Amino acid sequence: MTPAGGSSADRRTRQSRAVADHAGALETLGRSSGPASLILSSLADGAKHGYALTKDIESFSGVRLAPGTLYEALSRLEAHGMIEALESHDRRRPYRLTATGAAALSTYLEVQRKVAEVGLHRLAGSWAQT
Amino acid sequence: MTLENHRCAHDATDDPPSNAPGPRATARTADQARVRRLLLWYPRAWRSRYGDEFAELLIDERAEVGPSWRCTVNIAATGLRARLAAAGLADHPVDPEAAARAGLATMAICAAATVLSGAVMWSQLAIGLQWSVPAASRIPQAIDFMSGALLALAVAAFLAGAPAAWAAVTAACRGQARGLRRPAIMFAGGAFVLVVGGRHFARAWPGTGGHLLGHQSLIPGRIAAFGWAATMWITSYWAHPKALAAFPSSELAWMVLSPAATGCLVIGIAQVLRRIQMSRRMLRYEMCVGHLVLAGLVAFFCGALCWLSLSGGQPGRLFLAGTIDRAGFAVLAVSVVAAAAAVRRSRAAARYPPTQLHGG
Repeated sequence: MTPAGGSSADRRTRQSRAVADHAGALETLGRSSGPASLILSSLADGAKHGYALTKDIESFSGVRLAPGTLYEALSRLEAHGMIEALESHDRRRPYRLTATGAAALSTYLEVQRKVAEVGLHRLAGSWAQT
Repeated sequence: MTLENHRCAHDATDDPPSNAPGPRATARTADQARVRRLLLWYPRAWRSRYGDEFAELLIDERAEVGPSWRCTVNIAATGLRARLAAAGLADHPVDPEAAARAGLATMAICAAATVLSGAVMWSQLAIGLQWSVPAASRIPQAIDFMSGALLALAVAAFLAGAPAAWAAVTAACRGQARGLRRPAIMFAGGAFVLVVGGRHFARAWPGTGGHLLGHQSLIPGRIAAFGWAATMWITSYWAHPKALAAFPSSELAWMVLSPAATGCLVIGIAQVLRRIQMSRRMLRYEMCVGHLVLAGLVAFFCGALCWLSLSGGQPGRLFLAGTIDRAGFAVLAVSVVAAAAAVRRSRAAARYPPTQLHGG
């Protein structure tokens, strides 16, 4: 019988499962999960419309999202309540991040950071001398 | 870059100049026409929600990088995926309720395709049973299996159709049947022509002239005769015009009229299912019936597969599977796969939060 709260190993397991569950919020978007993380990252500093998103994502990731891919991901993110459309003054409609989207992005990026840290650490240990 | 910054830097950096006069304005007008054509890849519901802003993005993209075939292919692929989602055959529809109803309509079309191709096989086999005894004893069992599957499909059609018809009548009484009028007329007209014409031409069924060997299998002759008459147009005679010319003119007219009537019937049913307003409860019920339909399709597919695998060793032509039967089997396979996808996706769409679906 494990005491309330459990051992540190259990806690670590539960934490990593919880992190994985939240990170899964983006994974549920299927083929759009990659573009979705780029879009959410771009919207993290303020609302943007389609063309501004394309340019911003290209500037910080080097990836230029094709229009169809961008709007496929936008529609999925909107359906999942991770972003919301704002009133538009012209035909370009801006989108902004919601609290759900911010939480999903935060968790997803945490996982990515851990993956990057582990990878870089292991690379440094095994391949440093070569 | 935030929206505000983006707007300030409009002319200098990100945005291509969109309202510039002269040749650029002319080019923009031409681009708008091309972009409007590209938008046709997407379903209507998607266009009404995202069309304007997406068109602006495409025009901006073209102003910056020019037209590209990669962009066109990308739009075609994502547009087709959006169409599949709108038909209840892929994830993430713009309108989940409409997608769930479209999934039911897809199911109805798959069931109709199965019944059509199945009726061709089944009524031909019934003719064979009237005239001779099959060498393989499993053939009557396969036909019994197909008969049971068709019966299950008929029961499922009634179970699904009765509440939908009631909902349509209720909507008509409330004066909300504007979008339902045309599909209802198509359905009624198609059904009338098929029933009257099918009953008339069923008298010429070749099975009635043979020996009564109906005890070999569970096939009611009159229903088989009707199925034969209603699907008389699905024949390889179309590839042999000289033989076709020897047909009585009334039969030729029926072979042209009956597919049109069948098309009207199926399109009418599909459009009613797409347009009718359903509560969540009714949607859940229709999903359950959808599973019964899927089971019927799979059962018929298995029966047809069993017959096809046995028909090769038959000495005569009465139980031999021909080109039409193999084509019908391919239609059956596609119908089963599409129906399974429709059930799965419709169920997923129906699980969206109540805010996105009608309550009840």
